Amino acid sequence: MNTRIALLGQPNSGKSTVYNALTGSRQHVGNWPGKTVEKNDGFYTYKGTKYTVTDLPGSYGLSGNSDEEIITADFIRSGQADLVCILVDASQLERSMYMAAEFAPLGKPAVLLLNMMDVAKAQKKEIDCKLLEQRLGIPVLPFTAADSKGYGELKELFARELETPHTLKSVPETVDGGTSAEAVLAQSQAKFLWIENTLKGVTHTASPEYRLSGFDRVATSPIKGKFLCLGVVLAAFLVAMIICVPIMSVAQMIPQLLYEPVSTLLNGWNVHPWLVSVFAMMLPNVLYFTLSMAAFVLGVNLAFGFLEEIGFLARAAYQFDGILSRLGLQGKAICPVLMGFGCTIGGACGTRVMDNWGQRMLAMAVVWAVPCGAIWGVIPVISAMFFGPVGTLLVCVLILCYMALMMWIVSKVFGRTLAPYETRSGMIMELPPYHKAHWRHILKEAILKAWDIFKRALGTVTLVSLVFYIFSFSGSGNIQNSLLYRVGTAIEPVTRFFGLGWQTFMAFLSSAFAKEAVLGVLNAAFVGQSSLLEATFFSKTAVQDNAALAVNMVRTISKPEALAFLFACTFNVPCVMALSTTYRESHSLKWTARVALFYVGGALILACIVYHIAALFL
Amino acid sequence: MKLTNTRPDQHGLIRRIGGDAHFAKRITSIGITEGTEFQTVRNDRKMPVLIYLRETLIAVNRADAERIEVEKV
Repeated sequence: MNTRIALLGQPNSGKSTVYNALTGSRQHVGNWPGKTVEKNDGFYTYKGTKYTVTDLPGSYGLSGNSDEEIITADFIRSGQADLVCILVDASQLERSMYMAAEFAPLGKPAVLLLNMMDVAKAQKKEIDCKLLEQRLGIPVLPFTAADSKGYGELKELFARELETPHTLKSVPETVDGGTSAEAVLAQSQAKFLWIENTLKGVTHTASPEYRLSGFDRVATSPIKGKFLCLGVVLAAFLVAMIICVPIMSVAQMIPQLLYEPVSTLLNGWNVHPWLVSVFAMMLPNVLYFTLSMAAFVLGVNLAFGFLEEIGFLARAAYQFDGILSRLGLQGKAICPVLMGFGCTIGGACGTRVMDNWGQRMLAMAVVWAVPCGAIWGVIPVISAMFFGPVGTLLVCVLILCYMALMMWIVSKVFGRTLAPYETRSGMIMELPPYHKAHWRHILKEAILKAWDIFKRALGTVTLVSLVFYIFSFSGSGNIQNSLLYRVGTAIEPVTRFFGLGWQTFMAFLSSAFAKEAVLGVLNAAFVGQSSLLEATFFSKTAVQDNAALAVNMVRTISKPEALAFLFACTFNVPCVMALSTTYRESHSLKWTARVALFYVGGALILACIVYHIAALFL
Repeated sequence: MKLTNTRPDQHGLIRRIGGDAHFAKRITSIGITEGTEFQTVRNDRKMPVLIYLRETLIAVNRADAERIEVEKV
């Protein structure tokens, strides 16, 4: 029985809303074979039959050179879909019919979904669906994707059409002439002529004088608009934090609550102390971290899903495209970059607003260079111990300058592959009309994504935590018995070359786990009050005696080493949560590892340079 | 004249689209074809040109907008 449906439509046609409404949680995300474009498959059951739905990549046409268009065209031609559902925007009918015009010559069974009828109605546009149906020869269903009532009718239509399919009875005139610019222009003309003829009498649109709304007038103005967009993105980030902080605070209590009871229980059973700590300290911490990640994903997806849904992000992209294209990134990347200042996890999640995988990965790689909130909480504290308040201010300025340089370097190193110059074209983009947010859809998608990352991250975070655990465990609780100490002191001659002694090098390594761990590890190394294990795994709730730490550190560490250390920690890989989130969002171990190695290496080289230059002056 | 030389609220007609085949494909897929009516909505220095065409608000970067010849109506 034929049950395979494909959704075809331009960006902003509401395709993802329809896809999510049809398939809900019964979705599978993978990659199209050999490509980095996401493949979305799902299914639903109707009257006892299972129907599969493939969400084809959104593109404006089918005959371009982008991966998305090639994949879509190939898929349709292959006949892997029994029915194609073409989505068009009822409020921009003429333009959005272009996809149908490109699809028509392929001669496959289809239905036309006239989406966004609510917007068309609000604009007082009347559409004669019956006439359109007559002209096209395929069923035309007026629809509003956000309205759950219409889906029964839609599923019935699919079921009917899969039994007795229809194909488009009229097709645009084929214009030959090869692949020159003139030929392309002529072909497009033929398609729009077909659209015009098909739509004659179907809809009347007065040619209105277009007026920018008050908000848009500010949002698109060269200077005021940038501030407005920055403000909105930051506000969205705050909202995301407000959503996730309560969850994170609750999650934070898990390691603290479980430590005593679990260790008492396991010690009572004479379990080996090594294992006791795994279950009492490491695993509760893993749970805390993954819950925090999920909370982040939830918050970010809610806040930024809202901004994307209502159409605001296109305005932000318009504002920042010029600046960000110098990094090979599109304008929408302003969101993850800004969020990186608050938290790199948020920055990594924020890349969901980007259009393709290459852009997303490049954005994540660039965002790693942005010093996150945890860094601003740790680095100035340590810096003040050595350089005083004025010196610390200078250090912060230097950090920001290097951040810009690092972002540029990263874009140069990885940009060539992730966003090849041929695909970097100037912005030609639609700014969709603002419309109401469909909260059920946004909420559903955010929850699905959060749950998904929680499940997947458990494995990753456990693995990385285990590595840190093995290195920091010490039978006696004394730092000298830990593997990290032994390795650290053994390779000290090497780390000295980078300007770092064993203590600072250990703290540098721990910054890959959590930025807060830096203070804890320094504490363990210099003040010796806590074990390295506690320093790493309880770092977020540890109480420090910074005065004692300051005294000991200033005595043992030279200023050049301190400066090198500060830079190395700031520009090291982000914390394990951000690393895992990047891995999960990019679906690519290869690339996450590459970027991670680049950052670790870069941090060490930076430390070396800073140390040797600072040694000349300080 | 070039699209980049139009003024806000001016109505026009797309006359000629220059550039290579890749550009022609991109620009026509979003509805910008020769003979189409449009209205310039915003044209600020160093920002993409905003036009209203086929009931859609479209941003076209300046480099590409330079390749589009239009005439006033």
